[in-house]
Amino acid sequence: MPIKRLPVIATVVAVAAAIFFVWRQAGPGPHGRASAPASGGELVATMRTEPKSFDRLVSSRSAEELLSRLTQAPLVRVNRLTGQVEPWLASSWTTSADGLTWTFKLREGVTFSDGAPFTAADVVFTFDALYDPKVGSEEASSLRIHDQPISVRAVDDHTVVLGFPSAFGPGISLLDSLPMLPRHKLQDALAAGRFADAWSVTTPPAEIVGLGPFALSEYRPGERLVLVRNPHYWRRDADGRALPYLDRLDLDIVPEQDAELLRLQSGQADLTTSEVRPEDLAVLKPLADAGRVQLVTAGVSTSPDCLWFNLTPGAAVAKTRPWLQAVELRRAISLAVDRDAIVNTVFLGAAEPVWSPVTPSHGEWYLPDQPHPARDLAEARRLLASIGLTDRHGDGLLEDAADRPARFSLLTQKGHSLRERTAAMLQEQLKQIGLTVDVVAVDPQTIIARYTDRSYDAIYFVAPSDSIDPARNLDFWMSRGAFHYWNASQASPATAWEATMDDLMRRQSTSLDPAERRRLFAEVQRTLSTELPVICFAAPRITIAMSARVRGATPSVLPPLVLWNADTLSVAPGRGASRP
Amino acid sequence: MTSGGLATFVVRRLAAAMALVAVVSVGALLLVRLAPGDATTDLVLAHVDEATIARTRARLGLDRPFLVELGDWLAGVAHLDLGESSAFGRPVADLVGERVLKTAELASLALVLAVALGLPLGVLTGSRPGGLFASCVAPISIGILSCPPIVGAFGLMLLALGTGWLSIAPGDPVVPALALALPLAATIERVQSQATAEVLAAPGAGAAAARGLPPWRLLWVHAARQAVRPLLGVAGVIVGTLFSGSLAVEWVTSWPGLGRLLYDGIVGRDPFLVAGCALSGAVLIAAANLAGDLARGLADPRVRVS
Repeated sequence: MPIKRLPVIATVVAVAAAIFFVWRQAGPGPHGRASAPASGGELVATMRTEPKSFDRLVSSRSAEELLSRLTQAPLVRVNRLTGQVEPWLASSWTTSADGLTWTFKLREGVTFSDGAPFTAADVVFTFDALYDPKVGSEEASSLRIHDQPISVRAVDDHTVVLGFPSAFGPGISLLDSLPMLPRHKLQDALAAGRFADAWSVTTPPAEIVGLGPFALSEYRPGERLVLVRNPHYWRRDADGRALPYLDRLDLDIVPEQDAELLRLQSGQADLTTSEVRPEDLAVLKPLADAGRVQLVTAGVSTSPDCLWFNLTPGAAVAKTRPWLQAVELRRAISLAVDRDAIVNTVFLGAAEPVWSPVTPSHGEWYLPDQPHPARDLAEARRLLASIGLTDRHGDGLLEDAADRPARFSLLTQKGHSLRERTAAMLQEQLKQIGLTVDVVAVDPQTIIARYTDRSYDAIYFVAPSDSIDPARNLDFWMSRGAFHYWNASQASPATAWEATMDDLMRRQSTSLDPAERRRLFAEVQRTLSTELPVICFAAPRITIAMSARVRGATPSVLPPLVLWNADTLSVAPGRGASRP
Repeated sequence: MTSGGLATFVVRRLAAAMALVAVVSVGALLLVRLAPGDATTDLVLAHVDEATIARTRARLGLDRPFLVELGDWLAGVAHLDLGESSAFGRPVADLVGERVLKTAELASLALVLAVALGLPLGVLTGSRPGGLFASCVAPISIGILSCPPIVGAFGLMLLALGTGWLSIAPGDPVVPALALALPLAATIERVQSQATAEVLAAPGAGAAAARGLPPWRLLWVHAARQAVRPLLGVAGVIVGTLFSGSLAVEWVTSWPGLGRLLYDGIVGRDPFLVAGCALSGAVLIAAANLAGDLARGLADPRVRVS
């Protein structure tokens, strides 16, 4: 090679390298920062369970909820990031001064996935089906206001009026979970009393029509649901392009979480519908560093696990051990547990220490100035001594006044590594103040059965919360609620502080003044932190893993974590998840 | 075996099989009933109100006494109606029918793979029990045998992840079939190896060799054919292994077969689904046992009905 050509070759190589570098840097990175989303393409997501119905009114488990959000649409939607109610099938609304009458204007020109127009008659039909006793909808109770149904009336084809039976603080946000159903497809089934079976999982997919971004194309039981773009979908992006961007969305049914992770790692899935476990982050971080997956932290969970004791008055467990129901025991436990150790050891740092079930992700409802008492073993021992629990044998373990050991059993979920490991840490840490804890790991059905029968000492578990507004979760906060963990379904409040909480929550849930609602709920939280009927230790940070090709994802801490805005998801051009 | 004796044998074995099926399915129904919680327990977690849960319990017949439930279920079974699954909202007979086919597909593939691997390996290792080849294969077989199929399934999935050679998408049979086939191939290899060694050590083999039979024909035709008989005797065990192994393998690899359906039924406290799966599993195992015994009788004239 002539020497004089070397500078030319070197220049060409340098320019090529520079172009390559710039191209790599400008290439679409996480969340698609570089260019407009590409239309078309396929995305594969995994889900752990499969639906038992294609109708959310009939079955309201997580699989049905996800499918409903993908194939159906509500009148209004709660934005999972801002918590605000957004116009959806209703383009606008007005409300009366008393908050009882809501008038909705429906979008014009909206059609179902089979091309039939969407009108006010479909809204009226949906409410008729929801409250029909023959349907027995699992959604009906969450769409009643103080146990009374919402009335509905069509004014014209594009105007409906909803009548609330009483003032309701969260307002129309509860409509987020109600998909509008096609009257022309389901009215005969409702009239004949066959509504519950009309959209069963054996119904041909072409019969399932909706107003969502996708339409069901194929269901292979135990394998996958195939969704294809709804050509009649009504939404457009800011540039006027038709949504959804994706042509096809596959929901692979993968019941086992390790297998789900392996699929993501191998590129055979683009995202999982559940969050990443802390122990899996170590596996995924190198892949994220290599640009093969994206790891996005959505925030702190709104459903931290918590410990509660059976506070049912006269419960068998408390007859011989009345100290189990003493507030001093709960305060001592809260003081004795090293929350940072749980965060660092169990959650490997991927959590925040918490002192309440209301976490920072509850937004306006979170009280940052709540007291966070530091760990204090001496004070914990003093509190236990005040209820007669002392070390009578000098062996470091406490006994009650009758010389019976200070011992209780703690039920937790078998197979749930975070709960099992936390329970083991609680056992170890409470031993330091002389309490003996017998951890019993069982399946969720057994926990719920023991909870319902009230045959337990203490439970370490969680209940899913799909809304951050406390008035949507009255089952937990009010003494009559089935999820008032420590003493559920009370005819009248068993204690003065629960009566106070009931009164505050009643006012909080009926007030229409946001500031007053926040003030009342702050009072509720202060009562809760004083009485500690539930004790929380750590709330995990919700991290979502997606393949590098996914664009437009805005993960939320509320389910479904990513697919709540599936119509604006897109994929980078190129090889996708391989299909068999 | 006389035809009359055979008929008596078959009738007796069928009666025993029916008793097995009855005990297994009624036992499954009872166990689900005794387990804490029921099919509506997860509705509590979904915040469904108590009245709806009570209506659901009544609709699913969970509020009946166990004996009434059992009587109704048995009456239904007589008409091939296995009840309705609470977890899937569909007739159990339809679900089981679909999933039995998927498990049969997986099991057939696993069986073919296991026989294709295990049989020739067993003949080869049995022909020279102390040889280098046998010394290498035997520990591998024993290692695989002592490894539960669920561990094998995870191992294969990791292999698929590391190499990209195998697909792990739901519905792809390669990984689950291999996970089921490998322990089975090891079983077949061990049984066939021992039987081949015994046949070759018997005087008949020496006589055949003395008559000038080529060694390959002696090994692959005479010895292998005689040695396969013990395998037929464990046919029922093999099908049982496939069925029990499929429970874990189908769960891990997302294969929509009978094992995963049974698991879903147990987790969901779905009494009729669990009973239906147990019933069909018991029928399969009983049928395989009977078929294995009959095949052994036909293949080995020394076997007599006693």
